[in-house]
Amino acid sequence: MPASNFPVSRKASFDDSLMPPCQIACPLHMEIGEYVDLIAQGRVMEALQVIRSGNPFPAICAYVCTHPCEDTCRRGQVDHPIAIRALKRFAIEFGGDRMIQEEARTTYSEKVAVVGSGPAGLAAAYYLRKLGYPVTIFEAHSALGGMLRVGIPQYRLPREVLDIEVQRLTQMGVEIRTNTRVVSLDLLFELGYKAVFITVGAHQGLRLGIEGEESPGVVDGATFLREVNLGFQPSVGTSVAAVGGGNVAIDAARTALRLGAKEVKILYRRTRAEMPADPAEIEQALEEGVEICFLVAPIKITRENKRLRVTCIRFELGETDASGRPRPVPIQGSEFDMEFDTLITAIGQAPRIPEDFHLRIGKGSTIQVDPVTLLTNRPGVFAGGDAVTGPATVTQALAAGRQAAQRIDEYLRHKYPLPQKEKPPIAKDLLPKTIEVIRKAHRLEPERLAPQERVQGFRPIELIYDWQSAVDEARRCLRCGMGAEILFQDRCATCLNCLRVCPYHVPYLDENGTIQIPADQCQACGICVAECPAQAIVLRKPRDRRYIDEELHHVFSTAKQSGFRPLIVSFACQYGLFGTGTLSGLWKEAQASISIVPVLCVATVEPEHILRAFEMGAEGVFVAGCGEQCAREDTHFWVRQRVEKVRRALGQMGLEPERIQAFNVRVKEEDPVQRLHQFTEQIGQLYLAAVLAQEVKM
Amino acid sequence: MIVAEQKPLEEIQRMIAPYEKVLILGCGTCMTVCGAGGEREVSFLHSALRLAQARTGSNTHQFSEYTVKRQCDPEFMALIADRAREVDAILSLGCGIGVQVAAEHFPDTPVLPGVNTSFMGTITELGVWDERCAACGDCRLAETAGICPITRCTKGILNGPCAGTKNGKCEANKDIDCAWILIYERLERLGQLEKMRRYYPPRNFRTIPRPRRLVNLVKADMEEGNG
Ligand SMILES: Cc1cc2nc3c(=O)[nH]c(=O)nc-3n(C[C@H](O)[C@H](O)[C@H](O)COP(=O)(O)OP(=O)(O)OC[C@H]3O[C@@H](n4cnc5c(N)ncnc54)[C@H](O)[C@@H]3O)c2cc1C
Ligand code: SF4
Repeated sequence: MPASNFPVSRKASFDDSLMPPCQIACPLHMEIGEYVDLIAQGRVMEALQVIRSGNPFPAICAYVCTHPCEDTCRRGQVDHPIAIRALKRFAIEFGGDRMIQEEARTTYSEKVAVVGSGPAGLAAAYYLRKLGYPVTIFEAHSALGGMLRVGIPQYRLPREVLDIEVQRLTQMGVEIRTNTRVVSLDLLFELGYKAVFITVGAHQGLRLGIEGEESPGVVDGATFLREVNLGFQPSVGTSVAAVGGGNVAIDAARTALRLGAKEVKILYRRTRAEMPADPAEIEQALEEGVEICFLVAPIKITRENKRLRVTCIRFELGETDASGRPRPVPIQGSEFDMEFDTLITAIGQAPRIPEDFHLRIGKGSTIQVDPVTLLTNRPGVFAGGDAVTGPATVTQALAAGRQAAQRIDEYLRHKYPLPQKEKPPIAKDLLPKTIEVIRKAHRLEPERLAPQERVQGFRPIELIYDWQSAVDEARRCLRCGMGAEILFQDRCATCLNCLRVCPYHVPYLDENGTIQIPADQCQACGICVAECPAQAIVLRKPRDRRYIDEELHHVFSTAKQSGFRPLIVSFACQYGLFGTGTLSGLWKEAQASISIVPVLCVATVEPEHILRAFEMGAEGVFVAGCGEQCAREDTHFWVRQRVEKVRRALGQMGLEPERIQAFNVRVKEEDPVQRLHQFTEQIGQLYLAAVLAQEVKM
Repeated sequence: MIVAEQKPLEEIQRMIAPYEKVLILGCGTCMTVCGAGGEREVSFLHSALRLAQARTGSNTHQFSEYTVKRQCDPEFMALIADRAREVDAILSLGCGIGVQVAAEHFPDTPVLPGVNTSFMGTITELGVWDERCAACGDCRLAETAGICPITRCTKGILNGPCAGTKNGKCEANKDIDCAWILIYERLERLGQLEKMRRYYPPRNFRTIPRPRRLVNLVKADMEEGNG
């Protein structure tokens, strides 16, 4: 059957999907929906490709990203956000990230210097190499990574992960100068560099400004963690206090525990609700035995008998301040003393920019840049990362590095800065009526080491999902922005079928009598697509409306080569068991050649598709849904409708209606293996009978 | 809206038997809405006919498909003139009107009906269609509380209910509501029960001149216009 016989009534290439909130929130605008969906299908290597195309060092983010994407995830409006970071980690581990080699070729002669090797510097070097520039990284410390190396504790980011990324940069031909503190930019230009990217971070701990802060035993968080991370094993004694409410305070406290401190307290002058630290990390710190004293801050430190007497005062919350949080107000006369061996101050850091850089410095000692071009006041000198924003996050630094690479390229090539073309966003929240009908499903977290095991050392505490949990977690994604749209308005007969069949009551008639399918509510199930009698509706994402005929052709040309008969075609849910390929185990002994056409949901299989499979030579067709895993209750109803319709047609042609079956995997009472075997046997007999009849005729 | 259902495959196969090239012609209006002959049904029938043909091992027919917005207007037919010229027959999935408009427009091409045009009606639940109007040309719905006894009463009586009504259902079919009970209940609700007490004389359907025609345009009167 020539392909041209099939009416190609749908454009296959356009992508009308909208940008989901997770992607907007991600500083790198990673295609989260895309890779989560691929993981849900068990296509982990492809997921990794998508991840790597949007992030230079995804393995690092998979451990330490603060995941702003999860904070905006609309699944959170239903039950809990998707565990995006943990899923990324899964894709990294199971997709074979360690095997990936990076290459780069030098196409330009202009050398670029990167000052500082934190995530911003590393990302800039990575992308500049990809663009074809010779790049040198200058780093004051003995090893690359910035805060990834000297700040973040190893139990949250194993150093081998960082080492692999650094090694890839070397493979790509990035020149690395460690133990080299840059003191003058003029010197760099004299050395022949044509552009410089400054990413020196924010390492200067802010001072409490209280009496006794200089005493031995008082140290700032960044310095303390740096010493630990560089292997100096500072002794902290048995009781330690960390002052502050951010991640650095938490990291310092937990690190102190691991260094052998018996009693570790965090002193914070507001309450838990205002703590800027990641809630999950606060939780973990508490599990490990860190005690948090809220509404408390030190006002004086005295050193007595090699110990610190810390005078504290209690606070109450007052009116909201500029940061949007309630201002802590000291309570007069509430002073009290506590004793510690070590006090770690972690109330923030600021950049310290060498004066000889001659850069314009702004608020919080940060470098002032043009937000679009990242150019400083000096020609050819760009800056980004914590040095520009003040203490921020790894992903923000990576995004700055990527932006810098692009801007430096434009600068060196005398190109006009290109505006980024972006998809329109999905901005609206889910409506209560939509939320109500979405099936609830709990967030699955990867396992962690038990607290008592964790504090024994610096082993990474988070484990990786097993395959099934990752697939199940990824399947919770609501596929925001990938929904249905009426592509062929001229065909729409306003029959209202979409409005009637939508399980989420999304389509509606507007005041002009035109049907609307609001993209911000649609769950991209595809049922209306399959039920539209005018075939006017499509899903916005090209992969979801993958032309099933094309897939069928592929299946049949492969089957033809193998020549094994009878041929059975399965339209199978692309998620869950079938999607992950484990189903192949089910039919190892099947006496037939079974080909799978993966579909978004079995409720999207149209009667025409099934007929076409028969037309192309299938002896039997089965539709395999994922059963209890399905996001919707009524999938089976729709499958029944389509199957019955085809059965009627088969019957009219004198073909046995049993040639088409529908069943589910992962249903408690049903055994898919048995069903499948019965079915193949049945088809085998029908096939044999037909062959015999043919021979008799001849 | 006009409601129809697709003819059984065997009947369609019999009809098209003499013709080699067949255009399956869908209709984008009523036939799309009632699911008898829109884009989707056209492509389903197309596949089914090809499959049936492949199964018999014969290769007699070549099919093509196309769906116009509405088959009941000749202008839409003009749009498919080229396609029509290339085929030996048109299998129309339009209602009976569409079939005839196609036949009038393409005098040399046989046009075959792919659907049985059934009635004028409405959707009462997903996938269920019910007749509502008989196009009798003499609407009395004002007297019967907006419920048509001609279509909805099995016997079509004008002065009901008959003695066969039982528990609100029709004696001819217990699944069907008695139209006259519906009328009674609605008149009661509207406070117009006196309409039940009137006698409506029988209507003479034979006086309807067939085929009916409506002229909704004042023809230019040459004399008057010139005078
Ligand atoms: C304890 C801690 C925990 C954190 N945890 C997280 C987390 O879990 N998730 C997250 O997203 N973010 C976290 N952050 C924040 C994150 O690490 C930073 O935002 C990020 O590293 C900033 O990157 P950067 O490239 O701008 O600078 P940095 O990473 O600070 O790198 C700057 C580099 O420049 C070098 N340098 C400075 N001056 C010179 C010079 N003159 N010449 C040569 N080299 C120089 C420094 O030695 C350093 O290596 C954490 C920060 C800290 C301190
Ligand atoms: S794709 Fe599904 S959720 Fe979206 S409008 Fe259609 S039926 Fe509703």
